Amino acid sequence: MKNRRRAVAPSVAVALLLAASLTPALADGETTVLHLDRVVELEQTLADPTDLWVTPEDLTRINDFVLKPEGACLDDLCIPIPRGEGSDFVVESEGETWFSLTAFARKVGQEYVADRESRVWSFGAVPAVRSSFLTRAQAPEFVLPDRQGEPVRLSEFRGRKVLLLSWASW
Amino acid sequence: MYEELKDDGFEVIAVAQDTAGDAAAGPFYEAAKATFTTLIDTKHTLSALYGMVNVPTGVLIDEDGQVVRFDEGTYTREYQAGTLSFGTNDYLPIVRDWVARGAASEFVQEAAEIADSVGRRTDAEARADAAFRLATHFELQGDRERAVVYWRQAQELNPDSWNYHRQEWSYDPGSAGAKWFQKFQKLEGKPYYAPLRKP
Repeated sequence: MKNRRRAVAPSVAVALLLAASLTPALADGETTVLHLDRVVELEQTLADPTDLWVTPEDLTRINDFVLKPEGACLDDLCIPIPRGEGSDFVVESEGETWFSLTAFARKVGQEYVADRESRVWSFGAVPAVRSSFLTRAQAPEFVLPDRQGEPVRLSEFRGRKVLLLSWASW
Repeated sequence: MYEELKDDGFEVIAVAQDTAGDAAAGPFYEAAKATFTTLIDTKHTLSALYGMVNVPTGVLIDEDGQVVRFDEGTYTREYQAGTLSFGTNDYLPIVRDWVARGAASEFVQEAAEIADSVGRRTDAEARADAAFRLATHFELQGDRERAVVYWRQAQELNPDSWNYHRQEWSYDPGSAGAKWFQKFQKLEGKPYYAPLRKP
């Protein structure tokens, strides 16, 4: 979608493409998004060969960011999101708002890899979320299951000294 | 060590980087009669968040959630595997000293030093994490063929990550040792684990 709008073309073609982009088609079938330990199945996305568009609700399911008037926000962190005509980030269509997860990723320097054929998109950590680790060595929070499958958070151990040990059977 | 120090406000959280989950990691936890916190990380989430490239890696975190030390190769002692020796007898004394003395311990690192040495990911390394994550997804779905495509991509993007290689090799136990040794020899003197920093 983004690339289409940037294309230099005769004005008629541009008008047609703009009209097409105002009523984006839905993609067929489910899309899967991976982010850290999450696996999020999306029932609907927009048909787009290059970018991944999700609803604001799905954005939050994927990475906890909430789309607000001031931007895409997680706790104290807000990334400004340009909106309106020609926005690479947000399009409105038939009462639904679509947010480009890939345009957002490029803006915040988040890496991603997609397997187009099976419609699985894998997103790395958002660098800004890791910045408190990188600048102040604040331990990144995680939630992982114990052997019984019960979720355990690192922050539950505040007030104690912790040796966090990664290991593997292999 | 955990039993010895737990009454001093000390916790151990062990996190298994195993796509096969408890089936692979559980027997080790049982053999160790682990009484500390034992977690399962099928998607290597911890490695992606903390920028870890090998196991074992130990992170010391203080009462306020601040990382005060980050080390690779944090075995409890030195041991021999054939002609190679691994591990170190130096790590446990470091942990003991820190538990006893906290911020006054000479082994505590500056935040800037920790960030400089470990946390930062290049774009290629971050993309490698995403590709590896995709591979583990396909592996967990039983799609080995696709998994291998993205394991290879992750390995090319971040050749320094042993985790990526060693997890993949584990699916063919017969050749895993030989493949590991081949890559190990290519280090040509570069350290397998970053050496422990001591004051």
